[in-house]
Amino acid sequence: MNALLRIFGLWRRRWPALALGLLVSMAALLVAVAMMTLSGAMVFSLGAMAAAPLLVRLLGPGRVVLRYLERLTTHDAMFRALGDVRLWFFRGLARGAAGGIGYRRSADLLARLVNDVDALDGIYLRILIPLAQAVILLPVLIWQVGKGSLLLALAIAVLYGVAAFHLPYRAARASRAAGGRLGESVSALRVAVFDTLSGLREVRAFAAEGRMLALIQAREAALFSAQHDLAGRAARAQAGALLCGQGAILAVIVAAAFDPLLAVAAFLAVAAFEPIAGLARAGVLAGHAAASAERVIEAAESGDALPDPATPAPLPRGSALRFEGVQFRWQADRPFVFDGLTLDVPSGSRVALLGPSGSGKSTLAALALRLAAPQSGRILLGGVDIASLAAADLRGRIAYLSQATHLFDDSIRANLLLARPDASEDEMWAALESARIAEVVRALPQGLDTWVGEAGGNFSGGQGRRLALARTLLSTAPILILDEPCAGLDADTERGFLQTLNETGSGRTVILIAHRLTGVERFDRIWRLSEGRAAAAAG
Amino acid sequence: MDTTKTVARQWVRAQTKESHGFTAIVAACSLAGAAASLVGAWCAAQALALALATRELSLGYLGGFLAAALVQAGCAILAERFAFDAGAAARRRLRSDAMARLLAAGPAMLRGAHSGTLASVVIDRIEAVDGLFVRWLPAAMLALAVPAMVAAVVLTLDPVAGAILIGAGLLVPFAMALSGLGAAAAARSQFAAMARLQTRFLDRVSGIATIVLAGRAEAEAQALARAADELRQRTMRVLRVAFLSSAGLDCAAAVALIAIALRYGGQYADGSLASIPAALFVLLASPQFFAPLRAFAAAYQERMHATAAAEALAELPPLPPQTPPLEVRNVAAHGITIDFYDVSLSWDATRGKALDGVSFRIPAGQVVILAGPSGAGKTSIIEILLGFVRPDSGRVTFNGADIATLVPQALARLTAWVGQRPMLFAASIAENIRFAKPEATDDEVDAAAEAARVMDFAILLPQGLETVIGEGGYGLSGGQAQRIAIARAFLKDAPILLLDEPTAHLDPVTEADVLESLKRLCAGRTTLLASHATAAHAFSSRRVDLRGGRVVGTRGAT
Repeated sequence: MNALLRIFGLWRRRWPALALGLLVSMAALLVAVAMMTLSGAMVFSLGAMAAAPLLVRLLGPGRVVLRYLERLTTHDAMFRALGDVRLWFFRGLARGAAGGIGYRRSADLLARLVNDVDALDGIYLRILIPLAQAVILLPVLIWQVGKGSLLLALAIAVLYGVAAFHLPYRAARASRAAGGRLGESVSALRVAVFDTLSGLREVRAFAAEGRMLALIQAREAALFSAQHDLAGRAARAQAGALLCGQGAILAVIVAAAFDPLLAVAAFLAVAAFEPIAGLARAGVLAGHAAASAERVIEAAESGDALPDPATPAPLPRGSALRFEGVQFRWQADRPFVFDGLTLDVPSGSRVALLGPSGSGKSTLAALALRLAAPQSGRILLGGVDIASLAAADLRGRIAYLSQATHLFDDSIRANLLLARPDASEDEMWAALESARIAEVVRALPQGLDTWVGEAGGNFSGGQGRRLALARTLLSTAPILILDEPCAGLDADTERGFLQTLNETGSGRTVILIAHRLTGVERFDRIWRLSEGRAAAAAG
Repeated sequence: MDTTKTVARQWVRAQTKESHGFTAIVAACSLAGAAASLVGAWCAAQALALALATRELSLGYLGGFLAAALVQAGCAILAERFAFDAGAAARRRLRSDAMARLLAAGPAMLRGAHSGTLASVVIDRIEAVDGLFVRWLPAAMLALAVPAMVAAVVLTLDPVAGAILIGAGLLVPFAMALSGLGAAAAARSQFAAMARLQTRFLDRVSGIATIVLAGRAEAEAQALARAADELRQRTMRVLRVAFLSSAGLDCAAAVALIAIALRYGGQYADGSLASIPAALFVLLASPQFFAPLRAFAAAYQERMHATAAAEALAELPPLPPQTPPLEVRNVAAHGITIDFYDVSLSWDATRGKALDGVSFRIPAGQVVILAGPSGAGKTSIIEILLGFVRPDSGRVTFNGADIATLVPQALARLTAWVGQRPMLFAASIAENIRFAKPEATDDEVDAAAEAARVMDFAILLPQGLETVIGEGGYGLSGGQAQRIAIARAFLKDAPILLLDEPTAHLDPVTEADVLESLKRLCAGRTTLLASHATAAHAFSSRRVDLRGGRVVGTRGAT
């Protein structure tokens, strides 16, 4: 329930639009009830023939137009509100995901963004609006019928209350668990399908087709079981509401035997039960929506382990990096990666960090970018502890080529511009030259507008790596951290790139992370990482 | 466009036929429910008329009314249950079919489509087909039958009221046809927009760290907001038209109600009491006349969704014809000799040939180094051997048998592969290794992990091999991920070994260790090792030099 309230809070900007939709739907409802009641009154000619012109000229067309407007306004308001939720979700994800999505799965996040957010649209259209209509109609019903017979009014009110409030409430409670299962099973199915499709190479190479298909079918069966459960509950709740409506008609017939004038209440009852017919079914939806709201909020608010300080310090002028007695491990039950690491990287220097894989070379970059914070010790940028800076400011100073740098399913141009949105064509070509890929790109018929493919799939491994490198070099940040920039490159290309790196803009700090040197690099300092500390190595 | 439309229409018809048994039950239940509701309305009218005329309650009619209500409720529950089963059966069938086709087409699919787009076809489009069975089919079957039933009964009781209902009913298809035309096209483009948005989001989520570190998170969020808003506008465009058909229905219903009210209002004032039960019945039954039409209008978009799904499914590659598996086991026992004869391949016609007249031989049980700069075609050669792609011309043979005659599964049995970017699943390290051979014992997995030097780092992790890693190997360094891929190759134990830069992310010490264990793995197997690491070149004296898709030199490999 709290999760649902949070979602309403997110819709704040759309409250006027949502309220308008509600108002229009109320108007449409009242017109419909008035029309049905007047028709009934006319049949029993309760002095209502005078109302005929009103009925024909006003209520009939009014009802058609209002219903149309109701559908448009409510749907439009709903889509806007859901768009806001999606945006909030992405921002939340971005806040906590500077280090990657970690142990979460992208397909699960997508399921939350698409299926769970969509499940929320039922809250407004199929729960809130009919519920509000029921709340308004109930007193009208009691008052209208009560004028003739209080007892009949009471009987109808009870049946109405059961159909509009009690059954939906019970359905919502009962379907809470199944709704949660539904969300989880959609996500599990999505993960299985996505794993299979993005891993098609591995699946084919290891002849895992049958296994993966069996897994997908098992997950699908779980999804069907949850859906079946919910559909069954919905059908039963719906049938209960139908019986309540018929019960009201029965009550009217019985009452009419005592007072014929009460017969007109039958038409009022038919009109009043119509808009709430879907509420019992919507109760099932509410259970599902509540579970979905929880999943959406959980995903958007996880992460962000390192929030910015309340009042971030201004960014210092200098760009010297200093690690001071840093002690760090990723998890309490894992060994220390650094234990008393002290390291100086003066502004504008060229530094190499060497070490075997697993010695913490990439962890060092993560600490400098504040993707993780040391358990003790400090990291200083221009003499200021980076813990006191805003993460976005800090990261604006550092261009980082990680081993997991992602190439987006977009054009080469769009991929490059990510690092520097205002880069000119010449600057892009210069970066491509430095990364030793310009020749390849120039030979492509579409040049910079060539599509890169999923994770750079339209290029070979080494070419993709060089495109990512070009993107990093294009950035104007004063510190460059290059984590294994040459992995997957052949020896000639590697040497060529390292020579260009020697000439890269003066005044820029370059930190090269590698497990070996080729001999052509020129460095001011070379550090070797081992056993959690850095030792100066002979250049 | 027209041919795809016809194809889609035929597809919908074929799907309906496939679940004929279920849909017949759904139709029977729905019709029985509708009949019960008419009986109920008739009982109510009689009872009410009697109560008004004589102040008496007829228990028979009241009981009939109650029984009819119960039957109606029961039928609704049953109809819904069977409709669900029909939908589930169809979705199961379609999803298995789509996955089978994608799996048969294999990795070559990924060159042309984002896996996120394909996943959205398999998940969302097929889920959308459910509405065809759960809502559209029952609605379509009742849309004509029930109004006809109501009209027939009303006609016998009161021809004028019957004529009014029929007249109003005839307005409905007219309004629908008018609005349905534009809606179909709009629905198609809306689905395309939805799929685009999803693919885009999936891509951005996988690379979210890159976006955040580049300081572009807010810009990307704005772009996503614009895309979502575009989707809303498209959806509203569909709905504006779709709601017109509902409005047409509302209009028809209002006309009928007012006309009937005017007619009976006049009669009752004249004191013609005889027509009262009929009047009551007509008033109570007229919602029954319009309800199925309303359901039909609401469900019409389900059919459009199903049609859109049909079009997306039609674009998936067809299942290849079954070729009889060729026996290679007997020859494989003595090792496999691989021959390339004048092989050419281009991934994309505009980008020139990836391989151009490549010929070389790997003698049985020997190691051949494939050397050349990145983009020279090394990976293309390996992907041909893995069966991911077929050469445009030329032949590749195993012991003289063309691999084009092998089924992919037979090829997969013969080869073990370590790729440049091994795909690691979000699961434990042991499960990731076991992917190569699901029936492997724990000891076999341990041995493979040991041989590939996975144990070296796993031993430092809290749960050892049972430690869970994230999607794409999160929590491991590049070198560690590579070693898991090598462990898979050890575990698989196949006669052909294809190694694509197996040591690209390793430091010299680990590289030497891994090469040492690879050397043991290579013993007696036909091995192709694509690498530019100098250490790897000590592996074998046989090598093929590639440049720009052509063989520029061979040593011991012709």
